Amino acid sequence: MPLLLAGIATLVFIVSRLTPADPLVSIVGERNLTNPEVVAAAKARWGLDKSVVSQYFTYMKNLLHGDMGTSFSTRRPVLSDLWDRLPATLELTFAAMAIGLVFGVGLGVLAARHRNGWIDHIARFFALLGSSLPAFWAGLLALYVFYAQLGILPGPGRLDPRASEPGKITGFFTIDSLLHGDMSTFWSALKHLILPACVLGWGVVGIVSRLVRASLLDEFSMEYVRVGRAMGLRERTVVNTHALRNALLPTITIVAFAFAFLITGAVLTEIVFSWPGVGSYAVDASRKLDFPAVIGVTILGGVAFLITNLITDILYASADPRIRLA
Amino acid sequence: MSASGKRPTTVTRTRRVVSLVVAGAAVLSACSSSSGSSGSGSSTALVIARGMDINSLDPSRAYCDTCQIYLTAVYETLVGLGDDNHTLVPRLATKWDGNADQTEFTFTLDPKAKFADGTQVTSADVKFSWERLAGLQGAASYLAGTIDSIDATDPGTVKVKLKQSNSAFLAMANASYMGIVNSKVASAQGATADPKTDKAEPWFLANSAGSGPFTLEKYASGSELRLKRNDTYWGTKAAFPEVIMKETPKAVTQRQQLEQGAVDIAMQLSSDVAKGLSNADVTVKEVPSFNYVYLALSPGAKGGEKLTPKAREAIRLALDYKGLIDVTVGGAGKSQPSPIPNGFLGTEGLAAPAQDVAKAKQLLSDEGVSDLSLDATYPSLNVYGVDFTTAMTKVQTDLKAVGINLQLNPVEISVWADKIGKDGIPVTALYFAPDHTDSSQYVQYFGLLKDSQWQTWTKADPVPAEADLLSKAFAAKDDAARADLYKQLATAMMNDQIIIPLVNPNLFLASRTNIKGVTYSACCNLDLGKLSRA
Amino acid sequence: MTAAVASPSLVKRHRPAWRRGLSLVGLGIVALWVLVAITLPWWSPHTPLEVVGDRLAGPSGAHLMGTDALGRDVFIRTLWGARTSLPISAVVIVFSVVLGSLVGAVAGFFGGWVDAVLMRFVDLTMAFPPVLLAMAITASLGPGIRNALIAMVLVWWPIYARLLRAQVIAVRQRDFVESATAIGVPRWLILRRYILPMSYTPVLVNATMDLGQVVLLTASLSFIGLGARPPSPEWGAMITEGATNFYQWWIAAAPGIAIVTVVVACNFVGDALRDSLDVKDSAR
Repeated sequence: MPLLLAGIATLVFIVSRLTPADPLVSIVGERNLTNPEVVAAAKARWGLDKSVVSQYFTYMKNLLHGDMGTSFSTRRPVLSDLWDRLPATLELTFAAMAIGLVFGVGLGVLAARHRNGWIDHIARFFALLGSSLPAFWAGLLALYVFYAQLGILPGPGRLDPRASEPGKITGFFTIDSLLHGDMSTFWSALKHLILPACVLGWGVVGIVSRLVRASLLDEFSMEYVRVGRAMGLRERTVVNTHALRNALLPTITIVAFAFAFLITGAVLTEIVFSWPGVGSYAVDASRKLDFPAVIGVTILGGVAFLITNLITDILYASADPRIRLA
Repeated sequence: MSASGKRPTTVTRTRRVVSLVVAGAAVLSACSSSSGSSGSGSSTALVIARGMDINSLDPSRAYCDTCQIYLTAVYETLVGLGDDNHTLVPRLATKWDGNADQTEFTFTLDPKAKFADGTQVTSADVKFSWERLAGLQGAASYLAGTIDSIDATDPGTVKVKLKQSNSAFLAMANASYMGIVNSKVASAQGATADPKTDKAEPWFLANSAGSGPFTLEKYASGSELRLKRNDTYWGTKAAFPEVIMKETPKAVTQRQQLEQGAVDIAMQLSSDVAKGLSNADVTVKEVPSFNYVYLALSPGAKGGEKLTPKAREAIRLALDYKGLIDVTVGGAGKSQPSPIPNGFLGTEGLAAPAQDVAKAKQLLSDEGVSDLSLDATYPSLNVYGVDFTTAMTKVQTDLKAVGINLQLNPVEISVWADKIGKDGIPVTALYFAPDHTDSSQYVQYFGLLKDSQWQTWTKADPVPAEADLLSKAFAAKDDAARADLYKQLATAMMNDQIIIPLVNPNLFLASRTNIKGVTYSACCNLDLGKLSRA
Repeated sequence: MTAAVASPSLVKRHRPAWRRGLSLVGLGIVALWVLVAITLPWWSPHTPLEVVGDRLAGPSGAHLMGTDALGRDVFIRTLWGARTSLPISAVVIVFSVVLGSLVGAVAGFFGGWVDAVLMRFVDLTMAFPPVLLAMAITASLGPGIRNALIAMVLVWWPIYARLLRAQVIAVRQRDFVESATAIGVPRWLILRRYILPMSYTPVLVNATMDLGQVVLLTASLSFIGLGARPPSPEWGAMITEGATNFYQWWIAAAPGIAIVTVVVACNFVGDALRDSLDVKDSAR
């Protein structure tokens, strides 16, 4: 695992050196090239006057100290920028995941129980659309329908323009405003969260429902289900209490995959909904060729993947007694 | 085989899901009607939706349209601009005087003028502010660059000696970038006039040290700019306790928020978006402006070698100006012959730009130029309602008809700035809003004077005649003489064929009907101190 | 994730009629797009850059999906967009498959430290969210379709590496391969003659479905501004224009629908392939 982390950092270092421009430019920015003090400081900090190998080791050393460089556009350390923006993305991702899991499992159960019925077909088509729609397009469409035309949901942004942010405790506007007892801000934050979370969660609904359906169908062919039905247990009990529990095990593995999907989708959704999270930070940084920021976000993405995989493994191990005993 | 309870279970489950959804929707709609758009405790704040282009909040380094609004509200200049966008009125200075040949100016400071921290505004502060502006060499430093020395021996009087005659100095003193900073506070934060020793820029991103009706409360880059009323302001207190500028880059979102009452003023509606607005609570005024978007040709840039004067003239003749106005602002704008905007001194009687495709082709074939391919890197902006990509695509189509191929390459403005500063760009586009009311700024920025901004960027040879004419204009005594000289300068810049204005868009002032005082200011964009809610 | 070897079934799997119908629909849509993309210059009433009518006009008889901010026909531009998006997607897939298969086959066949090293590299690349990695690479190389292409290949090849490796490992253990090794057939010949032909079916299924996903990724990169340059009628770039002219819904609707039809169709074709080639499992 630490090897993988080191590998991630190394790969990002290689990517950052792909640029045809002088690496000095990518660290201090074109404008500061004429400022000898800034250049000297950068050279010292990143070892730019030494060989590439030596630069690599300096880079890794700096990383271990949490130094990812300074962003050109915000003039602050990249790590601070990421720390500031992470809660917004996490709030969105968790909400999307929750929506995706709840509706995904529900839809999967319905589809499995009414196999080849019209519900099944609709569920499968819905799932297919979720992974075929460009996330940014779906977001625009949702805004057009629910915000511009129907006016029932608010527009881009995390809060109304007049509202002020709740004092930061977790960084999640919904949780923080609740903790402060500020109900109007809470509702504003929640309403602004719905549309982007639904758009983002749609893909997850697709993945989860397909998997739940398949797993459930596998379970249905097993003996204990037939026994249960023969015993006269209500179908609902058979499905929800027994089959579902077993079917949900593989779903846990999908959580990591879904998170991957969500992080990707978050980048695009955040732009459409003006959500000030890590995704829109990454896009801005790419457009502005703010290399320290781009590199910082990429490393963060890799690390996040790793962590979710780890958590999934742990969850799976604790949920499946067969693995524990092994 | 099926268990007895199967059918009712499905129905029950579906019923449950449906009732849950309906309940959720009911709760949501109830909340939407109750909470509406009022935030917590700031219901009397003024909210402005704007795409901010802030490069810095340091008064000696800031140079952008939003910066003008900020600097006017927080730092005050010695002289102000009247509502007619032409007459100078007292601000920090009650009286001012210039000597006969416009080389020395004396300002008498208002004894009532105080900074937000209560200390008196003195000539030492003026000296500090203007010397820092010139010394840090930011984009606005040219305004103070004409100053030779400032005598601040009398705290209530400022005696300025200029390097040469400058009839525009009073107008320049009105530019928002010439605002006065509290020198004691700034120096304590490490502010100096030397870029190598100055350390105050980060402090200015979170604090202000001015005498204006507002102070800086908070700035979150890419999110919002919050100003707090200066309750100890020495003049008429502002009406709003707080002004919040929300980063809203899309005109469409600005309009939506304005219609719903979530914001009070939407500053950058394009004509397409503004024309669809029909709401009793919203007022939209279309006014002519001095802003414009232009094409810039750089013969000295890498890849621009073939841009000879005749080739550049061909480009100017190839453009469909009427079509450009139509495509970019839906007809709500005007064409502009020279880099000096319509309405400024020196533009009377200049011939409007006209398209002449035949002549353009002729000129190109005379030069032996055919199938010319040029890099057109431009900033991917949307300002004054003009989408740069739309404008450049039209330019590309027009030029294709005469055999010139533009490779369009939209980039972020910071990337563009780097590129043009280094290699230059053969064909590019940018925008300009006036810093003050005198025509000289356009010559100093666009003219081919040694070290002017565009001379540096295009790497073209300076034209000494223009520098001469400018000196004469600065020394001229009356408006008529100046008008004639600026007209010659305008013509000279047109003959440079470097800057080709594409469109002079009208401005759409959109605000909630109960907001008073929303006008277009030629120096400062929008004067926050003059706004109030009925 | 395991991948079963493709084996021709002695009993034809029964596929319900509606599934066969869907696969035909998918095939039809893909075929239609390819046909349009190839033949468009001959019958298109306008070029994608031509200004043909009033700006921002809604859908009408003359212009099926209205006009955009410059007065260009949105429907025709969308059709022209296929000539950008489809070839890019195909190129990315081909290169990814070739590169990935090479790496995966070598890793699976030779095993040992070769396998370990190559697979670490694959794991590394797959440890990043694809869009982020593509953005980082494109930002480094510079915006433009060519660099976006390189970035996408770099992001996509690991999937095929893993796929091929699993296939190769499974086939490698079969009897006839062991016999061939025993009688002294050179290793590379075994790889080429026996193993690779038996491994391609999951690749085919994945490649077909990935065609749609790459179209999505291309559009995403262009939407951010890192892909196609104006005035190219690439679908993602057109959606960006649609975002600016929000109230003129047709400008974003047409390219979006185009993308969805291509992705969904590729999915149907991939499903059909998977069923008919009887591949029980694959990387997705």
